[in-house]
Amino acid sequence: MADNQMVCATCEPKGLCGGKGLVTFKEGAWANNPLAIQVLGICSALAVTNRLENSLVMGAALIFVCIGSNLIVSILRKHTPHRIRMVAEVAIIATFVILFDQFLRAFYWDMSKQLGPYVGLIITNCIVMGRAEAFALQNPPILSIVDGIANGVGYAVVLAIIGFFRELLGAGEILGHAVPGFTSWYTPNQLMILAPGAFFALGIVIGIFNAIKGPDPEENK
Amino acid sequence: MKGSAYTLIYAAVLGTVCATVLTFAASFTKPYKEANQKAEEAKNILLALKVPLPETPSSKEVVDAREKNVQEKQLGELTTYVYSPPEANGKVLATAMRFAGPGLWGPVKGFLALEPDMKTIRGMTIYEQEETPGLGGEIVAPWFREQFTGKSIVDSAGVPGIIISMGGEPAANKVDGISGATMTCDKVQAMLNEAIKRIVEEK
Repeated sequence: MADNQMVCATCEPKGLCGGKGLVTFKEGAWANNPLAIQVLGICSALAVTNRLENSLVMGAALIFVCIGSNLIVSILRKHTPHRIRMVAEVAIIATFVILFDQFLRAFYWDMSKQLGPYVGLIITNCIVMGRAEAFALQNPPILSIVDGIANGVGYAVVLAIIGFFRELLGAGEILGHAVPGFTSWYTPNQLMILAPGAFFALGIVIGIFNAIKGPDPEENK
Repeated sequence: MKGSAYTLIYAAVLGTVCATVLTFAASFTKPYKEANQKAEEAKNILLALKVPLPETPSSKEVVDAREKNVQEKQLGELTTYVYSPPEANGKVLATAMRFAGPGLWGPVKGFLALEPDMKTIRGMTIYEQEETPGLGGEIVAPWFREQFTGKSIVDSAGVPGIIISMGGEPAANKVDGISGATMTCDKVQAMLNEAIKRIVEEK
């Protein structure tokens, strides 16, 4: 953390880089949670959350890609020509996504089959590109890694919450194991596994997040 | 300093670096991926033929079991996989064949196994598909695949063909479709019927 403070002392005392890594982390994972507050990247959040296991792996993928792309974009930020910065960002993001996809295909074959095209589609996930554009281009590498972890974790936690409830209510299982005694009084509702269930679950999670966080102070200015 | 030449060089260098990293990753993971694919295919042949397997077989057990129990046999232009274990003394217990075709998002490939009467389905498996997880992806789920066991590949009038559909009367050649995955079911039905047509012609 001391390192971050030193790095950040040179930053202007406002905005995302207003202080230490902890502030950046809280901002990404909670106050500006990419899924629940900014409502970005919901395509994959709706698609892969029918099982908790899928949600966890997808969350891990996003954390990995966010860290990697934020780091490299940040290191290159002073050398990247402004005009082609987005092309460069996409190339870097795509590299990390394909690396993760290859890793899954080689060592977690069954999971790779389950997630199908959605790992590859992380390339187009607005969270990753958004963090590269909004954060990594303006901030030093270490702080950018913190931001990548924060946003990845923010996404992964929300995904895990949705995946947990969809699998529980939709199939009566957790991580593929039947919950003892649960289905004796509850009939699994397949709607939760299907697309509408994803919308219900995501909507409720966004609502709860915003209720806990309270109204945005900037909105009333 | 940051003129067009610099931009071009930057793009070229970045592209080359990314491509090199990915090429290394691809060649490093290639043997693992190929082994996975081979084991996956062998496992699906065995599952379709209902060859007994341990609970969670290792890749080696799968490949060994396939070599021991299953022989490839050419039937006209059709390659069939015949389940004839050493202890059965040449008796054929089941015959499987490949089926493939376009799914909704990508190619779908699998095996259809028939009982020795060549009319009753013994098993059906799918080893490659890119359908929507949770919807079309359910074609690989046991509840969907197991419906096929015992079904007939011909209807009551003797016309070859199988039907995957949510509605209609139950029939000897009909299984339930997947709600939310009508397109995938239609495409799987088409590719199964293509395979059934071929085996009926070659028989």
